[in-house]
Amino acid sequence: MWKVTKSRVNKMKDRMKKTELRFFTIPEWKKEEKYLQEKHREGWRFTGVTLPGFYHFERCEPEDVVYQLDYNQEGTAHKTEYIQMFQDCGWEYILDFVGYSYFRKPVSAMGGEETEEIFCDDDSRIDMMKRVFRGRMVPLIVIFFCIIIPQLFVQSHNEGIVSMVLTGAFVVLFVLYLFLFIWYGWQFRQYRNLLKK
Amino acid sequence: MDSHIKKVYVPMTETGFYILLCLREEAHGYSIVQRVEAMTDGAVRLSPGTMYGSLSKMEKDGLIRFVREEDKRKLYVITELGQQVLDLEMKRIERLYRNMMEARGGESEEKTDVEGDKKQSE
Repeated sequence: MWKVTKSRVNKMKDRMKKTELRFFTIPEWKKEEKYLQEKHREGWRFTGVTLPGFYHFERCEPEDVVYQLDYNQEGTAHKTEYIQMFQDCGWEYILDFVGYSYFRKPVSAMGGEETEEIFCDDDSRIDMMKRVFRGRMVPLIVIFFCIIIPQLFVQSHNEGIVSMVLTGAFVVLFVLYLFLFIWYGWQFRQYRNLLKK
Repeated sequence: MDSHIKKVYVPMTETGFYILLCLREEAHGYSIVQRVEAMTDGAVRLSPGTMYGSLSKMEKDGLIRFVREEDKRKLYVITELGQQVLDLEMKRIERLYRNMMEARGGESEEKTDVEGDKKQSE
């Protein structure tokens, strides 16, 4: 009897919560914001995200809520004042994830005719893009030039089966990184062009 | 004033201008947001991400300085350098305004000429 009740409770709980696996690349924070807003509109409130890309939600009343991501290392280092400023402006702080801070604000709480964002001019949007680039792309570029290229060079000049395997592995990494740089670079450019219009 | 400061801050964004204007007295970010909203009848609404980013950037560049903390909010005030930048910017806006008013004053007489020119060029 007790077991039945428990499983029923669990089932109910399950229906109240769900998790989705989604991947957003480094320059795709705008897409992620839209995704979270869409979920909330469907009645799923965002509660957390865990690696590699599990997004957790709980059931809620469907509502139009704007989600925004900021990337500000200065802010995460001085968290109390940083969050305070957003709260003063009516933005709820949700959490930090890989350097990004997540905020949300219901459209109904926005006074003006236009939907608000956490940035009000393109200069600051471009500044955020630069911070993302420095914080997340530069480490990849350093790995590429300080590890992958030198290792590729060293391993390809060694003999033996191990070196051959390693050479192969570094060739794969080399191609992968090159592909990522081109793709991300293109996306950053797209975003920049979008802002300049 | 070095060229970097000039390059970044002259001309200035509306946000930057209002921040410096408000920080002639010490204030924290949110009070600047409120004051600007009141000053512009709600037309300019500064956002927290922009505000936080601008304040830390201006502090790093020495245009404003941190004074003290009050209720988890940082208070800032303009520096000598910040005042210089603000003066430059005010001069630029004054010139802009003067020229705009001149253009406006001459508008009624010029209007017919301009329209005439347009038709000719078409």
